[in-house]
Amino acid sequence: MHPTTLMYTSSLLLMFAVLLYPLLVTFTSLPLNNDWASSHAKTAVKSAFLISLAPLSLFLSTGMEAVTSSWTWMVTTTLDITLSFKFDHYSIIFIPIALYVTWSILEFATWYMHSDPLMNRFFKYLLTFLVAMLILVSANNLFQLFIGWEGVGIMSFLLIGWWHGRADANTAALQAVLYNRVGDIGLILGMAWLATNVNSWDIQQMFILSKDLDMTLPLLGLILAATGKSAQFGLHPWLPAAMEGPTPVSALLHSSTMVVAGIFLLIRMSPLMENNQTALTLCLCLGALTTMFTATCALTQNDIKKIVAFSTSSQLGLMMVTIGLNQPQLAFLHICTHAFFKAMLFLCSGSVIHSLNDEQDIRKMGGLHHLAPFTSSCLTVGSLALTGTPFLAGFFSKDAIIEALNTSHVNAWALTLTLIATSFTAIYSLRVIFFVTMGTPRFLPLSPINENNPAVINPLKRLAWGSIFGGLLVMLNINLFKTPVLTMPAELKLAALAVSVLGLLTALELATLTSKQFKVTPLRTPHHFSTSLGFVPAIIHRQIPQLSLLLGQKIASQMVDQTWLEKTGPKAIANATTPLASATSNMQQGLIKTYLTLFLMTLVLVTLISAT
Amino acid sequence: MAGVGFQRWVRTLSKGKISGISGLLPACRSGEILTYFPINIGEIAAAAKKYNIRVEDYKPIADNGEGYGDYPQLPDRSQQDRDPAYQWDHPDLRRNWNEPMHWDFDMFIRNRVDTSPTVVPWSTMCKQLFGFVGFMLFMFYLGDKFPAYQPVGPKQFPYNNLHLERGGSPDVEPEEVKNYEI
Repeated sequence: MHPTTLMYTSSLLLMFAVLLYPLLVTFTSLPLNNDWASSHAKTAVKSAFLISLAPLSLFLSTGMEAVTSSWTWMVTTTLDITLSFKFDHYSIIFIPIALYVTWSILEFATWYMHSDPLMNRFFKYLLTFLVAMLILVSANNLFQLFIGWEGVGIMSFLLIGWWHGRADANTAALQAVLYNRVGDIGLILGMAWLATNVNSWDIQQMFILSKDLDMTLPLLGLILAATGKSAQFGLHPWLPAAMEGPTPVSALLHSSTMVVAGIFLLIRMSPLMENNQTALTLCLCLGALTTMFTATCALTQNDIKKIVAFSTSSQLGLMMVTIGLNQPQLAFLHICTHAFFKAMLFLCSGSVIHSLNDEQDIRKMGGLHHLAPFTSSCLTVGSLALTGTPFLAGFFSKDAIIEALNTSHVNAWALTLTLIATSFTAIYSLRVIFFVTMGTPRFLPLSPINENNPAVINPLKRLAWGSIFGGLLVMLNINLFKTPVLTMPAELKLAALAVSVLGLLTALELATLTSKQFKVTPLRTPHHFSTSLGFVPAIIHRQIPQLSLLLGQKIASQMVDQTWLEKTGPKAIANATTPLASATSNMQQGLIKTYLTLFLMTLVLVTLISAT
Repeated sequence: MAGVGFQRWVRTLSKGKISGISGLLPACRSGEILTYFPINIGEIAAAAKKYNIRVEDYKPIADNGEGYGDYPQLPDRSQQDRDPAYQWDHPDLRRNWNEPMHWDFDMFIRNRVDTSPTVVPWSTMCKQLFGFVGFMLFMFYLGDKFPAYQPVGPKQFPYNNLHLERGGSPDVEPEEVKNYEI
């Protein structure tokens, strides 16, 4: 084996071993020591991150990628499944970032979940999720990817429903599983098509063998999978509902890693999509609709975690738009930079929530700029990075996407929606900062505001470094596959910035309304639409379950018996023969006329039949 | 022993009240499980007492041959619709002990269908949501018809379209190529 390949596979193996060791320790019957979460789990992730830097530095210096196939799982006459890993540009860069973010989140969770008696189990779940995510990201065939895909889905269910005594948390976990399942239908459809038409689930083989085939159907399946996993419009309600889980779960799963799995799948399969205009247009339009719709919903939410959740959904829509522009690498860049600042935003939210004694409503926060300066600074930096402030992390990816959008031959409405969503991003980001950090406090004075614990400060610090320099570092060290368009009119170049500044100024203007007393603001339809999340949960979560459950119950308990006994069985025979019998007996009236008529009719019939 | 049981079963069957193997159940013999649609006031009162409801509130499900018997028709409200602040016997289910269960109780638990009143009426919600989606689809169609793109034109080189550099003769007058004016 080539030394580089050996280095890649051995570091991945070492990473898996380091991450699995704490999990295997829990299978013994010995009780865990109190700081297992901190001493074993967090240390494992930190070590795994440091190990993953080795292949990263090797890749950045040599540019060498590798695919390794180790163990043959099954061999059929048409399909082979092997355990194979792909160390390419995408996986080698994403794994260290994911581990860095996870390390910070786990350290934060040692403080956040400190009072939870089952904290060790929580960390176990998070570690299992991380292993599943790494399997997904490094998979070279769809079967292995599906294993990771399902793994992250199940761990998401377990973690959202962490406080399972709360009915709303159970409902949210159920929602996540059901919506992801609908997406899984698409993935399985795509896999089945590929297995039957291309006879392979191996990425390299699929790309070569599908050159001349019409790939619309499997691509639609993959897009459905991404719609489910990455909360695109139509299958998006589970993501804001997933905020029922603890904040570290929201930070890790529902912002940085799990929700990007759908986009990652499309990035991996992008060579299949390059020449299929239908799939690209669908991605573009779906992504644009998602980003605008969820940004609209985020404008009027009052729960800090919900705002950040809708922000995540909006950015996922933007990533989908990028894939629709045939720029998978820019989408990947946005995944990487987004992980940093979104995780930081969630950790800041968690710090604020715990500091205010589990208060999540932004209308009951305020003045934290003086009371929790580090957290509010990180919140501000994260929000600035999110809106694409020049030269922070988000700028390099987001601005590149908007430029690519402006200079491409695109659907004009998709372009409009994306720009509107970019301005909305600035609006709701300022809304969060205004309500949380600025003004005077709107909570009780005796709140346990605490920034003294290094378990809170160090993760925020690390992610802040990532949010500021992450984009620059990634951009400096990678080679873009597709040449970007570098010449465009100044209006297009500055469009993203202009639109964000416009949003910022609008939001500032609206924020000043809070300190002035106007006449009562009349309730407007768009406000209801936005607050009620577009009425999507209200309609879909009532109508469809009611129909299917009612029908199911009726069929199982009433209709089966009714059908077999009354419609097709004994009673049906009775109902069918009774009219015949009564008609026949009614005819026997004793009148000669009736009998003569019948005799004549029979004669005519017999004559006719014998004549033909 | 078996013979005695068989005789009792035959006797109960011949009474014409129950059929089949359910006659073997003790509750059936005393008439507890099997229910008929209540017709007179006595049967209604007995059914209301059985289901722990007041006689005024008791309303049997209409007899359409679906086999509901005398089971009461309770209001189609979900558990989520009930007062969260009241001291229920089972706070997570929002239900008191021995309260009559809706026939579709498992559909109305808090994790499933919710019948709580919405901010705006149902018809308004549907109109707004599907109107929004329809509008978006229409606008995407228009956006596809009139896409946004940067203007591009065919290449135009200086020096008479690079006549000499492309190996043209200096004596021959090259033809004018003008795709656009700068």
